[in-house]
Amino acid sequence: MKIQINEQVVELAENTNIEQLLAHLNKPLMGSAVAVNQDIISRSHWADTILNEGDNISLFQVIAGG
Amino acid sequence: MLFDEMNKNDQLIIGDKTFSSRLFTGTGKFNDQKTMVAALKASQSELVTMALKRVDMQHRDDDILAPLIKNGMNLLPNTSGARNAKEAVFAAELAREALQTNWVKLEIHPDPKYLLPDPIETLKAAEMLANKGFVVLPYVHADPVLCKHLEAAGCAAVMPLGAPIGSNKGIKTGDFLEIIIEQANIPVIVDAGLGSPSHAAFAMEMGADAVLVNTAIAVAGNPVAMSEAFARAVQAGRQGYLAGLGGQSSQAIASSPLTAFLEASL
Repeated sequence: MKIQINEQVVELAENTNIEQLLAHLNKPLMGSAVAVNQDIISRSHWADTILNEGDNISLFQVIAGG
Repeated sequence: MLFDEMNKNDQLIIGDKTFSSRLFTGTGKFNDQKTMVAALKASQSELVTMALKRVDMQHRDDDILAPLIKNGMNLLPNTSGARNAKEAVFAAELAREALQTNWVKLEIHPDPKYLLPDPIETLKAAEMLANKGFVVLPYVHADPVLCKHLEAAGCAAVMPLGAPIGSNKGIKTGDFLEIIIEQANIPVIVDAGLGSPSHAAFAMEMGADAVLVNTAIAVAGNPVAMSEAFARAVQAGRQGYLAGLGGQSSQAIASSPLTAFLEASL
């Protein structure tokens, strides 16, 4: 299936959850935040949030700042 | 040292956390991660700020988080980039998931030239975030009335500016910081504009509860040495405040006896 992550189209296996998505993208769990179709998904639900065809994912990461 | 004795009973409490160090630091603008970690360690800071950004799928960013966590630092995410209250609340909720903390440095500064905080949107966002259970530390202008509103809204501390972010100009808002400090029932953290250790000492002598320094350390010729200098200045300023500063006078007040003991010999 195809989903959009930060405006980029990505091909994923069916039934991928958010934890698996981050692993697929080689992103750390700590320091990352995810919104699916504008709804922020709390980390405790990453493993049970299954992505669907056409979902619009926003992926954020902590960086250095003052 | 007497300071150590005084310091033992002089801890700073914000929200649910107790701090021994009154120097908070930012993680931005360092040349490299190694220098950043070394400087933050030298600062003895127990609270360090971080920002959030949308991931660039083409590039992999350095993992700056691991060394900070390893060194036991509390992380304070900011909402930099938010242009209004709604965006700031969204950023705070993202940061809560990213760092698993309900602490947030609320900053809303839509104008890129001076990065001055928007008081109206900041107060709106502070009310919303406090109601959602966040420990809110808002970055604001040195406005005593606004600071009282933010206190009433449930903020855990206020962070009035000394001068514009990154300007290194020092305390340009001193008279108003004094009023804020006098009136506040929550900690006052002087943030932004502190360019040298003496600026930090000055803020602490005024009775600020803490200061936040980033640029002045990060862009120094030797950030690690500068970090240590700031740590000492904050301690010295705090001790000066606790020791009770002498009053000022427009006339001279002699420090030596003005007896006429020489007159008889001439």
